[in-house]
Amino acid sequence: MQFLAPLFFVALAGLAIPVLLHLTQREKKQIIHFPSLMFVRRIPYEAVRRRKIHNWLLLMVRLAALALIVLAFSRPLFSRTNQAPPPGAGAREVVILVDNSYSMGYGDHWERAVAAARQQIGTLHASDRGSVVLFASSADILMRATAEQDRLGAAVASAKPRFSSTRYAPALKVAGSILSESALPRREVVLISDFQRGGWRGEEGARLPKGVTLTPVAIQGGADRPNVTVTGLSIARSTFSNQERATVTAGVLNRSERPVSGASIVLEVGGIPIGTKPLAIDPSGAASVSFDAFTINAKNMRGTVRVSDDALAADNTFNFVISPSEPVHLTVVDRGSATSTLYLTRALSIGDAPRFDVISREPDAVSDDDLKKSAVVVLNDVEVGTGLARRLTKYVDQGGGLFVATGSRATWPQDVDALPATIGPPVDRTRGDVGRVGALEYGHPIFEVFRAPRSGDFSAVPIYSYRNLTAAKGAQVLARFDGGSPAVLERKIGAGRIVMWGSSLDRSWSELPQRPVYLPFVHRTVRHLANYREPQPWVTVGQVLDPSATAVLRGQRMILTPSGKRVPIEDEGSDVVELSDQGFYELRGENQNVTVVAVNVDPAESDLTPMDPKEIVAAAAGLSGSGDTSTASGVPMTPEQTEKNQRLWWYLLCGGIMLLAVDTYLSNRLAKT
Amino acid sequence: MPVETHAIPGARFMDPTVLARIGNLELVARAVVDGFINGLHKAPYFGASVDFAEHRGYVPGDDIRRMDWKLWARTDRYYIKEYEAESNMNFSVLLDASKSMDYGTKGITKFEYARILTACLTNLVHHQRDRVGFVAFDSEVLEHVPPSAKHMETVLHVLDRLKPGRPGNLKGPLHKLAEHFGRRGVLVVISDFYEEPESILEAISPLRFRGNDLIVFHLLDPTEIEFGFNDAQPFEDLESGEQMPVVPEAFREEYRSLVKAHIDALTQSFSAVRVDYTMLDTSKPLDHALNRYLNSRARTMKIR
Repeated sequence: MQFLAPLFFVALAGLAIPVLLHLTQREKKQIIHFPSLMFVRRIPYEAVRRRKIHNWLLLMVRLAALALIVLAFSRPLFSRTNQAPPPGAGAREVVILVDNSYSMGYGDHWERAVAAARQQIGTLHASDRGSVVLFASSADILMRATAEQDRLGAAVASAKPRFSSTRYAPALKVAGSILSESALPRREVVLISDFQRGGWRGEEGARLPKGVTLTPVAIQGGADRPNVTVTGLSIARSTFSNQERATVTAGVLNRSERPVSGASIVLEVGGIPIGTKPLAIDPSGAASVSFDAFTINAKNMRGTVRVSDDALAADNTFNFVISPSEPVHLTVVDRGSATSTLYLTRALSIGDAPRFDVISREPDAVSDDDLKKSAVVVLNDVEVGTGLARRLTKYVDQGGGLFVATGSRATWPQDVDALPATIGPPVDRTRGDVGRVGALEYGHPIFEVFRAPRSGDFSAVPIYSYRNLTAAKGAQVLARFDGGSPAVLERKIGAGRIVMWGSSLDRSWSELPQRPVYLPFVHRTVRHLANYREPQPWVTVGQVLDPSATAVLRGQRMILTPSGKRVPIEDEGSDVVELSDQGFYELRGENQNVTVVAVNVDPAESDLTPMDPKEIVAAAAGLSGSGDTSTASGVPMTPEQTEKNQRLWWYLLCGGIMLLAVDTYLSNRLAKT
Repeated sequence: MPVETHAIPGARFMDPTVLARIGNLELVARAVVDGFINGLHKAPYFGASVDFAEHRGYVPGDDIRRMDWKLWARTDRYYIKEYEAESNMNFSVLLDASKSMDYGTKGITKFEYARILTACLTNLVHHQRDRVGFVAFDSEVLEHVPPSAKHMETVLHVLDRLKPGRPGNLKGPLHKLAEHFGRRGVLVVISDFYEEPESILEAISPLRFRGNDLIVFHLLDPTEIEFGFNDAQPFEDLESGEQMPVVPEAFREEYRSLVKAHIDALTQSFSAVRVDYTMLDTSKPLDHALNRYLNSRARTMKIR
């Protein structure tokens, strides 16, 4: 017999009430006046005599009535143990989910998890089948649906913790898919994990099939050492004596209830310790450690911040990669007039990330070498001849970026189809209402920064004249003037892009250069055209690396993982690599170009705060862990059968009420006597 | 001397509860006593004679009407004649009017029973031409009617308006009263005697110093003897107000034995000092008490 609401048994404490009433209530009746208590006082008074129960029958009736009512509310449920099991009943399909996230490396958790998995394997009978699934952020089936315990045991023995974070939902989904294909009557999932709170983000659709039993095996318990985590780094660049320097500040968190003292934290660059600091943190405390600045004298310098060994080793190191900052080279093609390029060059001279290295050329002076060095070419309201147009088209096709500003002088040969729009006649808006820019594509990288309120208002910029642009085929209009004419357009040519602005970049046609939106507009446009990406000092395990997204890797063919494994990159097809190890990934190309990516574990995984496994059981398999409408034999019951099995509460309640009626009758009779 | 009888047939066997319903104490007393006397068939009027007792020498101040002139004529000396009639006794009832007496479970309280008993005894004695007096006390003397042949009505009147209300104490008032009973007589003490036997004896003894005859009636309600309660209830002392949780069925046997020991101790103690002690159950008819009194008087007369 089971109970749907066993918490109601707490109400059994109420059985003490009638007993107390029987013992105490009668003494609270009418006071007897007696001439003298002289003789009564002489009789030894024993308190226990007061507690004598006078009406056992009445008491028993009351207790029985209360007990029956409590039993009724606890909703007893009969299992169908008396039914003959269907053919093959007893054979089990067991999926053993073993958490091998890096938090399982805490203390002896992994050894205990392996032992628990082996114990589960040992319970399998000859007719049972078992599967072993390792899971962290994703789930891997080590052994699927086999009755061979040796193979299952070997699979568990070969497993070891990964560097990934815990997520339960993928594992439960995999278990559900294995069990849904099984024909065995009893289907079970055993979830062996440290049950970190951070690994459960709600149900996430991880619902096991009906009739599946989910048994959690919690691997928890403290270790005898503290657990310190390097949660992140802050790298501040500075220039000293024409050399770029970096100052690293590490954030450290003590996630245990033990204080950390006598430990040290080390900064290594290129594998060589260059700074060591003592470390002392209170229980559950945090600390920030700054190291002395070091010179960034080479590309892809590998750095690591490392704390002393503790209960969980994986979160003790934090890797990063740092390189000297590189400017974006661009060529501004203009008429050679200082006034026409004043605002543009001033705008491009501002900024560190990235810096812009600008060279100015007149249209006739643009050389192939200039184009080769430049990531972006800016045509600042100039007349472009056919030759230059063809060279620029080729330049863009090979991956370059072209920014075209169309003022009063801008021309483009009609026989070169490259620009996003054909340049029409000027539109004079000096009379009447001035022109405004609106209908911005805020989803585009150029205008994304203006999306938030009070982040720049293009509509407030007066445009006195602009060229009537007609969008070309394949061009995307990113903004329009208030008259409907395209204001900003983009077109992809080969590997490069062309962005076209329908007015001038100086003050001749608009007040844009004097408005706050000018600087970010120019910067974002150039960065977009140069395909500039801010260098990431590190990434987290579980992220993917797209070699094709890195310009340096064009033509590269191989990735070297932290464990020394070489992964060739296919020319076609999937060339995305999942970063699954902690350490440094090297991306090597044909020309000995190397890009290094530092990979760190997710520091959130080192938070071992446990959750109640019942929460997962309730979400994935229902409250009882075995499915609320299934039986031990795994055969789902109909609603009528379910109701029938739970009907006992009704009889218990009726019995309780009848006993209360008897109690009333007896009480009245006793009162009369 | 013919006896005036207004007997109610069988009145002496009347249930005290029935008598208690009769408001007029005189009527009750007369009914009981007359019926009782009729039943005895014995003339009760003794002590009222004028029989010569002795001569004594005249002293100035003696009533010359009592001078024996014949003896003077023979002897030429003055002698005074003394008669037995002057030896008629004083009779006083000392009634305990403490709060504990105001208890009864059989339709009559101990105090009501005592009141009827007092009225009956007073009536009886009055019929004998003795002087009747009355004292009511609790921890102090509440009422004091000196013995007199004319105080029958007063006694009944005082009895009628008397109500118990305060805690009682024997020693104080009885010691005080002992000084007032300067002349020999019969003293009847009616009380429930909720004190230690030694204290009771100490309180009562001074009453005997002047040669008074003491008759003690110990009044108890049947419940006080049998302790016939069933349910566990808090008991409150009528006099002190003290409360105690009591489980009667657990206490009963011990209580009974204690009460019996108390009564036995009183019987023995009073017997030792020649005090006539009678324990009266308020459920019993009054003739038992009256009979006891008359027997006591008979013994007294024999001794004289």
